[in-house]
This record gives sequence, structure tokens and C-alpha cells, in this order.
Amino acid sequence: MRTLTAILALGLASVSLAEKVTTPLPIGIAVAQTSNTALLGQEQVIGARFAEKYINARGGVNGTPIRLVFQDTGGDEAGAINAFQNLITKDKVVGIVGPTLSQQAFSADPIADRAKVPVLGPSNTAKGIPQIGPFIARVSAPVSVVAPNAVRTALRLDPKIKKVAVLYAQNDAFSTSETGTFQQTAKDQGLNVLTVQKFLTTDSDFTTQVTAVLNADVDLVIVSGLANDGGNLVKQLRQLGYKGSIIGGNGMNTSNMFPVCQQFCDGIIIAQAYSPAQPSANNQLFVKEYSAQYKKAPPQFAAQAFTAVQVYVDALKVIDRKKKLAEWELADLRVELNTQILAGKYNTPLGVISFDKDGEVQQKDFYVAQIKMKDAKTGTFVFLK
Amino acid sequence: MDFLQTYGFLIVTMLQQGLLGLSLYFPLMAGQLSLASPGFYALGGYIAAIMLTAPQFAGWRDALGSWIFPVTWLFSALASAVLGVIVGVPALRLRGIYLALATIAFVQILQVLSLNLSITGGAVGLFAIPQAFGFVDRWQYIWIFLPTVIVVLLFAHRLQGSRVGRAFRAIREDELAADAMGIPPTRYKVLAFVIGAVLAGVVGAMSAPFLNTWNARQGTFDASIAFLAYTLIGGSRSMWGPLLGGALLASLPELLRSLADWRLVINGLVLVVASLYLPQGIVGALGRLRRKAPPQRPVTPSTPALGDTP
Repeated sequence: MRTLTAILALGLASVSLAEKVTTPLPIGIAVAQTSNTALLGQEQVIGARFAEKYINARGGVNGTPIRLVFQDTGGDEAGAINAFQNLITKDKVVGIVGPTLSQQAFSADPIADRAKVPVLGPSNTAKGIPQIGPFIARVSAPVSVVAPNAVRTALRLDPKIKKVAVLYAQNDAFSTSETGTFQQTAKDQGLNVLTVQKFLTTDSDFTTQVTAVLNADVDLVIVSGLANDGGNLVKQLRQLGYKGSIIGGNGMNTSNMFPVCQQFCDGIIIAQAYSPAQPSANNQLFVKEYSAQYKKAPPQFAAQAFTAVQVYVDALKVIDRKKKLAEWELADLRVELNTQILAGKYNTPLGVISFDKDGEVQQKDFYVAQIKMKDAKTGTFVFLK
Repeated sequence: MDFLQTYGFLIVTMLQQGLLGLSLYFPLMAGQLSLASPGFYALGGYIAAIMLTAPQFAGWRDALGSWIFPVTWLFSALASAVLGVIVGVPALRLRGIYLALATIAFVQILQVLSLNLSITGGAVGLFAIPQAFGFVDRWQYIWIFLPTVIVVLLFAHRLQGSRVGRAFRAIREDELAADAMGIPPTRYKVLAFVIGAVLAGVVGAMSAPFLNTWNARQGTFDASIAFLAYTLIGGSRSMWGPLLGGALLASLPELLRSLADWRLVINGLVLVVASLYLPQGIVGALGRLRRKAPPQRPVTPSTPALGDTP
């Protein structure tokens, strides 16, 4: 009986070992297509879909087309784990792009890491994500790198700034880690943080916070929140007579905020990990085709999702040149792909990026944009030099 | 093997959600609609996550080895019981919808606390939680959750027939009458509430390694409503109801994964249809099918009409 079991186990093991890579090459996209996180996830879906079309139109991986497999994570941790499990065992992808939120990444990434499947986070910015394991990397620069640029730019625009008020949404993971970076940067720049105010992403009345800010008589306000609450907060600040500069966090980095704060959005300074104006030929082609299809410049989340897919394809191209992809066992290819991703250098819409040994993205250029409102409804992000 | 790899997590999630449904069932046995379970679930998870990751507990982890996991369950159970008494004694003076509101407030307070304390990791939460007993795959957690389900069901079964269970039922049917018969309602109501709290706390402690991470999104108002739906859809009068409801509602969106966006529409439809047409829940409806039809009025032999003489 025991020998029988052993033979059976051996048989099962050999079956799973003998798995070849299927074509077209499956790459998994596990982002939020439903729930309120889908506001971000939808832009990622568009960016990834666009990458698939764009890359396959240019010959895919040395002639082999790629195929994106989408699995919805929803907004919670369990959904992310389910999506990852499906991609790994059922869809047999070579690697995964996702999930949308950092909290989901902390839940689902260990699953992929243990299964030895590479993961590229397209939008996870919390501290500690690449350190989850050797198979986890991200293309989204952490807040601690992006956010300080906004403060430096605000100081360049108005060197007289001395007194600062910091506000943040305490129930949003991104905003709470971002505000830490903002406060540290302000201190490093020799600014005086006079008041720190908290709010909730579900708030709509900010009288308490605004009064505290006005009483402190500051000349710079730094807000870390999401589009709706952040927009309302800025609107009420301006309405009650605040005249100084305003820096917005990455959660407010979307044109969805314009209908909320309307003409009061004008002048908000926001740091960017991506700029449509980035001059590389790669990016300009991406922007041109994207704008032709969607009638607007690509947002940061779409550009990052595109970048993640492109990194997979570029790494696969290098592997394919050494040994044809069709000859690889799936499990071996996943391991090799992970090694190759970390070793390579990629010319993406985000500029030239590479990874450190943990899988943390090394991005050269960051940008700062300022909102300019044409009227109450339409506005643009003007990228500052 | 692939089946277990793909759906193992889902199967264990069904058991886990069933257990959380059962945590609402115990207060309901005494007629108390409490929505506090997500609060205790979050508390248990945080206790386990902190004990398993915080450097202050490194000595415990080294000394206890894998025994640290049962110890986290025990601590979560104790903390939930203590907090359950503290919250339960004042809250259970309220009835019906007011109790439900008070328990929702309790869940909110815990959530705001966990967002603001540094030991709970703020909004990002705690992560890199070590795996219970060296488990690698998600389905292996069935070795924890399945025995728990069996133990809880046995407990519920024994409880129903016991003196305490009968007291619960008496309070559920008529609190004043029960009081008049010498059953102290407050004591039994708090007891029912604490049993549910301890169960939710232990499930939370088991779930922290299962989900790899723990954060303030685990115990929310949304979870309160979800757990309530488990008992409503499954049936609140039998211990099988919440278990079935939890398992069904947890699995439905995943089983319908191929339908993409439509799966949430169908999930909603099931909720609406079930609450409209199965007021006793699924288990209640099944029970009605199994039960013999009530005896009909015996068909009286058609007696010849009076005055109709042969």
C-alpha cells in the first residue's frame, strides 16, 4: 500500500513537473475590477490591456504573442488570494501583475512567493512590499521617494515658506504612510510643522481641521487624502480664506478630483511617478497611441500597469534568446524569469528603470505637476520643470 | 492536487465564514441581535498578529515553537471573553435594533483604535505573519478550521439540550416570562453574547496566519452586515443555518468567477430572493420540507344529510 502511494505521489509529481509553457504566453493581471478599489483598478486594466495590444502588434516576445489573463481581486485580502491561486494553478501564468492595494499585497504576495511565481506590484507603495520575498518586486516607487519632490518644488516656487500644516486621512493606508514622509521632509527642509490634523476619507465637513489650519497662520498646507475628501478639504480651506500653497498627496493625483473642488483645485502641487511629457521615444509612442484610443493622456496607474507588463516581456525576450520559451518547463521558467527581471534594465514609459536585489524599483526621474483649472469643471495637470 | 491548490483557500474560507456566522448564532439563541462579531474577530486577529510578529514576543516564540499558535488562540479567547463581559453588561440592557446599533458602535470604536495605535500598524496593518505549524499551502488550514467547526457544532448541539440552552430559548421566546420563572435574563444574555465573542475572537486568531496579514479592514461595518446575512440566508433557528449561509455566501462570488462583473449581480439576486421567499432561511425551508405535513382534519365520512331518510 505504501509503495502504491509512493508511486502515485511520484506520478503526480512528474505530471506537474512535465508542464510546458503554453503559447500565447500567459501573464496574470490580478487587480481590483470590482469594489470601490476598482476606481484605481480600472485604470490599471486599461493600461495592461493597452500593453497587450501594443506589444503583440510589435511581435510579442520574439514572435510569440502574449496573452493577459485577468482575475478580479475585488477590494479585500481574500479576493486577492483567490485571484492569485487561480492564476498560479489554473491559468498557469508565467508571472503576475498585481494586486492593487498594499494590504492585498501583504496577503496574496506570500502565496506567489512560496509557489515561486514572480510578482510585479503595479501600484503597491507601502514600505516592506519587495521584502515579502525573493519573487516579489514592484514598478511603483515607494511614497518615501516620490513625495519629497512636491515639498522641494513648493519651496522653489515660494522660498518664503516657513510654517506648515499637515493633514491626512487616518483610515487610508497610503495616506498615513505618505504623511509620515511629508512630515519628515518638511523637517529636513527646515520648515516648522505647526499643526497635524487627521480626518477620515468618509468625511465631508472639515470645519475643525480648517479652523486649526487658519489659526496656525501657515503658508503651506500638505494634504494626504483621496480624491473626494481631499478635494472637499481643499475647497473648504480656500472658501474660508486660506491663501498659501497647497500640496496634495498621491491619492489626489487624479482628474476625478476636479468636480469636487472645482476652481478651488487651482494651484495644488502633486508629485508624480509618471509624466506624459517624459521625453523618451518609448513614452512618446505610448502617449500618442493611448491618447488616440482613449482621448486623454495616460494616468499614472495605467502607465505603471503598462510598465509592469513591458518588464515581463523584455525579460522574457532575453530568456528566449538563450533558450526557446516553448522548451522551458513552466516552473523553471518562472524562476529564471524572476532572476532575469531583477537583472535587467528597462526603457519604459516611466523612464529607464531597474530593480535592486530586493525587487525595489530604481527609477531615475520623478515629476511634479500643478493643477490649472480652466473653469469649474475642466482642468489639467501642468508638469513643472 | 491542483484542485486543492486552486480551491483550498476557498474551502477553508467557507468554513471560516461559517464559523463567523455561528458567532452570531449564539447570541441569537437568547434572542439577542448582536453585530459585534467583527469587532471580536478583529481583536483576536490583532492579538495573534502582534504575538506572532512583535519583537517583544520573540522570546515567547522561541520558547514555545509551534505551541505559540494555540497560545494565541487562548489569549484571544480570554481577551474576547473579558471584553465581551465589559461590553455585554451595559449593551445587553438594550433590546432589538438598539442593541444592534450599540454593537455596531463597538465595532467602529475598535476600528478607529486599531487605525490610531502604533502596535496595530495603523492603516497598513501587520504583515509577514508566520505560518501556523509550518503550513505552506492554504488548504492545509483545513486541519485547524475543520476540527474547530466540529467542536463548535458539538458544543452548540449539547448546549441546546442543556439547562443553559433551555434558558436561552425561554429568553428568546419571552424575556418577561422567563424572568418570572426564575431565569436571570441579564446573566444568560451576557453568557450567550460572550460565547459568540470568544468564538469570533478565536476564529480571528486562526485567520491572521491564514490571510498572511491583518489590518483594520478586517473588522468593519461591512463585515457586520455580511455575518448577519449569513444567519438570515442560512436560517437563524438552527446551528446549521449560519454555517451553511456563511459557506454559501463566501463561495458564491468565487464559483461564479467566470461571469466577471455579473457575479456580484447574481450574488445580490440570491440575497434578495432568499430573504423574500425563504423567511426562515435555507435550513428553515429544508426543515419544512422534511417535516411531515401536519395531520389533516380526518375526512368525515359523508353522512347522509339530515332528513334524508332511506
